[in-house]
Amino acid sequence: MPRSSLETVSLCKDYPGTRALDNVSIRFDGGQVHALVGKNGAGKSTLVKIFAGAISPTSGSILINGASATFSSPRDALRQGIVAVYQELSLVPELTVAENILLGRMPHRSGPWTFAIDWDQAYATAEAVLSRLGVDLEVRKKACTLGVAQQQFVEIARAMSYDPAVLMLDEPTSALSYRETEHLFEIIRTLASRGVVLLYITHRLQEIYKIADTVSVLRDGTLAGSVTKEDASPENLAEMMFGEAVKRTRSAGAPPAREPLLTIEHLSREPAFRDVTFTLHRGEVLGIAGLLGSGRTELLRSIFGADPPQEGYLTLGGRRIYPESPAMMKSLGVVLTPEKRKEEGLVQILSTRENICLASLRRVARGRFTTRARERVWAGPLMRTVGLVTPEIEAPVSSLSGGNQQKVVVSKWVGTEPRVILMDEPTRGIDVQAKRQMFEIIWALSNRGISSLVVSSELEELLEVCHRILIMKKGRIALEVLPSETSLERLFGLCLQ
Amino acid sequence: MTFLRSHLGSAVLEAVLLILCVILAITAPRFSTTENLLNVLRNVSMQGLIALGMTMVIISGEIDLSVGSAVAFAGCLMAFLTGWMTGLEVGLPTGLAVPLAGGVVIVVGFLLGGFSGFMRTRYQVPTFITTLALMTGLSGAAELITDGFPLTPFPDWYSFIGGGYLVGIPFPALIFLLAFGVFHVVMNHTTFGRSVYAIGGNAEAARLSGIEVKKVKVLVLGTTGALAALSGVMVSSEIMSGTATTARGWELDIIAAVIIGGTSLMGGVGRIWGTMIGVIFLGVIINGMTLLNISEYWQHVVRGVLILAAVLLNRLQQKA
Repeated sequence: MPRSSLETVSLCKDYPGTRALDNVSIRFDGGQVHALVGKNGAGKSTLVKIFAGAISPTSGSILINGASATFSSPRDALRQGIVAVYQELSLVPELTVAENILLGRMPHRSGPWTFAIDWDQAYATAEAVLSRLGVDLEVRKKACTLGVAQQQFVEIARAMSYDPAVLMLDEPTSALSYRETEHLFEIIRTLASRGVVLLYITHRLQEIYKIADTVSVLRDGTLAGSVTKEDASPENLAEMMFGEAVKRTRSAGAPPAREPLLTIEHLSREPAFRDVTFTLHRGEVLGIAGLLGSGRTELLRSIFGADPPQEGYLTLGGRRIYPESPAMMKSLGVVLTPEKRKEEGLVQILSTRENICLASLRRVARGRFTTRARERVWAGPLMRTVGLVTPEIEAPVSSLSGGNQQKVVVSKWVGTEPRVILMDEPTRGIDVQAKRQMFEIIWALSNRGISSLVVSSELEELLEVCHRILIMKKGRIALEVLPSETSLERLFGLCLQ
Repeated sequence: MTFLRSHLGSAVLEAVLLILCVILAITAPRFSTTENLLNVLRNVSMQGLIALGMTMVIISGEIDLSVGSAVAFAGCLMAFLTGWMTGLEVGLPTGLAVPLAGGVVIVVGFLLGGFSGFMRTRYQVPTFITTLALMTGLSGAAELITDGFPLTPFPDWYSFIGGGYLVGIPFPALIFLLAFGVFHVVMNHTTFGRSVYAIGGNAEAARLSGIEVKKVKVLVLGTTGALAALSGVMVSSEIMSGTATTARGWELDIIAAVIIGGTSLMGGVGRIWGTMIGVIFLGVIINGMTLLNISEYWQHVVRGVLILAAVLLNRLQQKA
């Protein structure tokens, strides 16, 4: 098989309001494994989806083996041998393993029965692909009966069955055990030796050193750098991923009096997290760092009662409670600003005023009745608390910028006079200035005695805004660090180890 | 219950149907006569034909509410075209006019269904909305064609299509059984059929695997439209006229039969065989209650209970 190559020239992808990829020019040669790293939202998945024909670039071009290529659909890309295994599982649950592997390419019988599927051949082909992978699976089983790791192998088998010239793997090992991972790496090396272009997206540093020949880093949609494995030290990678502009303007200051407010005791919700125990103090800003899939979001949702824990309980202000439902936790003064702000945090078609009043209608209303005037009076001071300036509070909240929408979410909850605010990725997708204002809000709340539990992928922001940081790994709290004693590189390394 | 589950597996509905038939055979002597059973088959065949298409539509994750009106519209269009072609201006013999009109009606039915699919895939208009609009629109169009009165241009032999017998079996029932065979093979043994399952189960995965999701959806809805038109032609033959008020509410009867047959409204899950059982189940219940002289009002209540019970049974089985 001749060596393939995949190249982009000034590739850009715009979404309304954001630029997901900005002028990316990069070249991947066949016969090597290329690791692609970067924070969440850095543009890795966008790049993979463009290569796979799932989305089209706004501008720029793609070259395959030096010749310009355009794909208008995944079908086009597959025809040219470009195959992706996506991070989120993409099997059809009700179809068999064989059908999933051969999805869209089921073999047909010959002769007069050519319209009919040749099941014998389909099962044989699927079995052959799986045995080449060294995976033992019953191909007649429905996909929904498989475990996550098995499903992942079915996806990999599907990709392999195309005999790809370019194979892209988006965090393929997140569901695999050590032995299975080793096995996958062997397969990857074999493919590479045959000249296939391999793109490997991962968050795990060890994997980079184990499998990759080159490492390319994306940051905020631009190519921050591309180095060989030998030059890819953790410090080097951290600098490329987070940028040099990591200068703390102000730290959170001294932690407040250590007066315990909320204690999480042995909380478990399998398989997301287990036996999590820690204490949040009054007025404290406590960060939780960790990789995607470490159980951070799930933990916050459990504390809020959105997905109640299987085991464990909370102690809030000396009272032992089990978080049953969001309504219960809200009444106890524990609230959540979710990661998916647009879908879960706000009702997009309602106005700023209506959204702010939504969580505290009982307080706003006199008896059971509320009026626009009463709501305006209620919303005004809350908007000032979070520095929200919008010309028209009656316009749909969807017309606001990401930063202002986040302020609406926070002010909505501040109106319920909470004791603890759980914040999931509070600075996701908002601009630098809005981020700064977000920090100010968190500190202001802290000064009023309101505690915050902040989950963020932006390590440098956690270092800046928090009094303490917990590092979460594979569903457990691994260790605790103090921002004043930790550098970004060290925190990054701790998360990856 | 465990005994039932391990020995019957997914055949619970079939077992219940069998028990029902035995009970009816004992309590209503006329039930088990060949004549009556063939009658049941004829009565269910016109709705059953559409139910086959509806099964595909629902498995693909869509819905079609327009089929009842489409039946009435197709019958009226059939009558109008036949009348026009055999009339003084054109003057075709009926032997030529009827097949020609039938062909046109079925093509129009396909295009109407395909239109819902086009609106869905091109402009993201939910099929619930487009077919709801078609439901009212086609009902009105049928009235406009007939001007409010039944059209009766058909020759005597036309009654064969809806009321005739071939080798002792009602002709519509033969068509229904033939269509059942075709759809069973299509859904289980062709790329197209399996794509329908893939799209309903995980549309994005199907798209990323190179399946032409839009094309499949348009075809599925178009086919169902054509089946509704064919059914409309058979109904017009049964009553020997194009009448705008026929088939009112059929869409819900048909969706009920599909759901009783185990197809999930969420898409991705369902079987043509199950729909066959669902269709016969409803037919037997109605027939049995009529034979037992139970009020028509009770028939509606029982049908309601049946829909809920069947879906509940399904959910409980899935949990187990």
